[in-house]
Amino acid sequence: MKPCLLEIKNLSKFFSGLTAIDSLNLKVQKGQIYGIIGPNGAGKTTLFNCITGIYVPEEGEILWNGVDIKGVPPHKIAELGILRTFQTIRLFSEMSVAENIMSGRHIKSKQKWYNGIIPTPGYYKDERYNWEKVGEYMDLFDLSQYAATPAGDLSYGVQRKIEMARALAAEPELLILDEPAAGLNENETKDLADIIRKIQAMGVTVMMIEHDMDMIMSLCEYMTVINFGAWICDGVAADVQDNPAVIEAYIGIEDEDE
Amino acid sequence: MTKTNMIALGVLVVMGFIPFFADSAWLAVGTTFLVYSVVAFSQDIILGRAGAFHMGHAAFFGLGAYATAILNTQYGWPILATWAPAVIIPMVVALITISPIIHLRGDYLLVATIGLNIIFIQVLENDLFGITGGPNGIFGIDVVRAFGYEFMSQTNMYYMAFILLGITLFIMKTLDSSKFGRAMFYINKDDIAAQSMGINVRYYKLYAFAIGAGLAGAAGSMFAVQYSAVSPEAFNVLQSIMFFTIVLVGGSASLPGVLLGTIVMFVLPEVFREFAEARYLVFGLAMILTMILRPRGIWPVKFGDIPSFLKKGTK
Repeated sequence: MKPCLLEIKNLSKFFSGLTAIDSLNLKVQKGQIYGIIGPNGAGKTTLFNCITGIYVPEEGEILWNGVDIKGVPPHKIAELGILRTFQTIRLFSEMSVAENIMSGRHIKSKQKWYNGIIPTPGYYKDERYNWEKVGEYMDLFDLSQYAATPAGDLSYGVQRKIEMARALAAEPELLILDEPAAGLNENETKDLADIIRKIQAMGVTVMMIEHDMDMIMSLCEYMTVINFGAWICDGVAADVQDNPAVIEAYIGIEDEDE
Repeated sequence: MTKTNMIALGVLVVMGFIPFFADSAWLAVGTTFLVYSVVAFSQDIILGRAGAFHMGHAAFFGLGAYATAILNTQYGWPILATWAPAVIIPMVVALITISPIIHLRGDYLLVATIGLNIIFIQVLENDLFGITGGPNGIFGIDVVRAFGYEFMSQTNMYYMAFILLGITLFIMKTLDSSKFGRAMFYINKDDIAAQSMGINVRYYKLYAFAIGAGLAGAAGSMFAVQYSAVSPEAFNVLQSIMFFTIVLVGGSASLPGVLLGTIVMFVLPEVFREFAEARYLVFGLAMILTMILRPRGIWPVKFGDIPSFLKKGTK
């Protein structure tokens, strides 16, 4: 059996009596692009917040390489190699693009506790090395021309790229993308799909929430559908698309919206 | 070298020559300005960088001053020997007192730190342990003696404070271009995003408080030696409000801004001393107008200070 990178076991999260996640199970294999789909309010973002330590789930286990990471604070989760982007873009908008991506290098920086006030040769080397790395990630995402521009001044599509570059700069094992295509036009979405494939080719496992069905069906090797926090079904794209429970829960509700 | 750095260097050179043409009264004002600007910078590490609404900074300034005063007058330590404790005691006290309240946000932290400052003043005024001299404070603090020389003239005081400011600016520059300073900015701008990037919010906020308290303590020690006396009212909440205001009026996290803020809030009132209390009316108005017209300060911080090799090909 292939090693399982992330396993969610019977996970439940309640908000004052309301069940946001209802004993959910899923397994993400190393190297996959894994999709989480479901109607609005299904608990997808809550699931991501539980994995990244922002929420502490009441029941169940979150196994990272076999070790339970439930209740581990967010900054330690990042150190373990799980990095994320946000549904509502959360950049340091007054700071330049390069400085934003540099935040991804934080956990990789080897500066000692006294280097905040006393520079040492090792500190200069470390600064230089990490800024060079930032340069590499800016090149990868085609952001170099905006290096000194405040992130908040750029278009939505570019900001999405900065957020992904920032997370990737931390050299994660698992990259969690919360609706990366939201607010993007057709061309930008196509670019995004290419970027996600490129990320996968770098050996990074990707887990994503997305509403763009074309994108998720073509990108994701495996997916789980949830509704009201509970598992509906999982499988490869073709299985999920044909599942009557999915059509009822997901597509059905979308029809009501229209 | 950027334009801002050139201006800053020019200002520093001019400040270095002030003792050659100022009389001793103005030199005393200049020395206090240098000391206050160090305190303002140390407040700016906590407020402007880490974004913690800390309204009790005068307590750390006072701890440094009282550490030097008590060790010198009660225990007979030479001033030079009191420098290390004047830095370390405020640091340790900051770590102990701030760590239970560090998770508080914005206004909640503000109220808690005012409380700390009030407790500090109460301790001083009630002469706890019989070493603080009560409401009158402590008099007769020695001058710095080294190499068989007494550094007691106003010019000596000025240059000692000037060197302290130089060290402070060096520390600020180092901090701003290290992962520690950046982590503080990230936490300030978006703490959820910062945590998700692996930044331990608690650690870096306490780091800011420790460095800030240590620098304020060094300034306090200098202050005690300059006036050869310390008393509680120099370190009360009103003083904390002044340091807080200096940072906001000058420009949070902006080195020239904070220096300018100290001039506006401290030196100008001295210049207009002949107008007595009326001058404070003008300053009250100036503070209100600055916040309306320039909410980010007179000289706001500019981000994007990145290595030049990354700027190739930028638009």
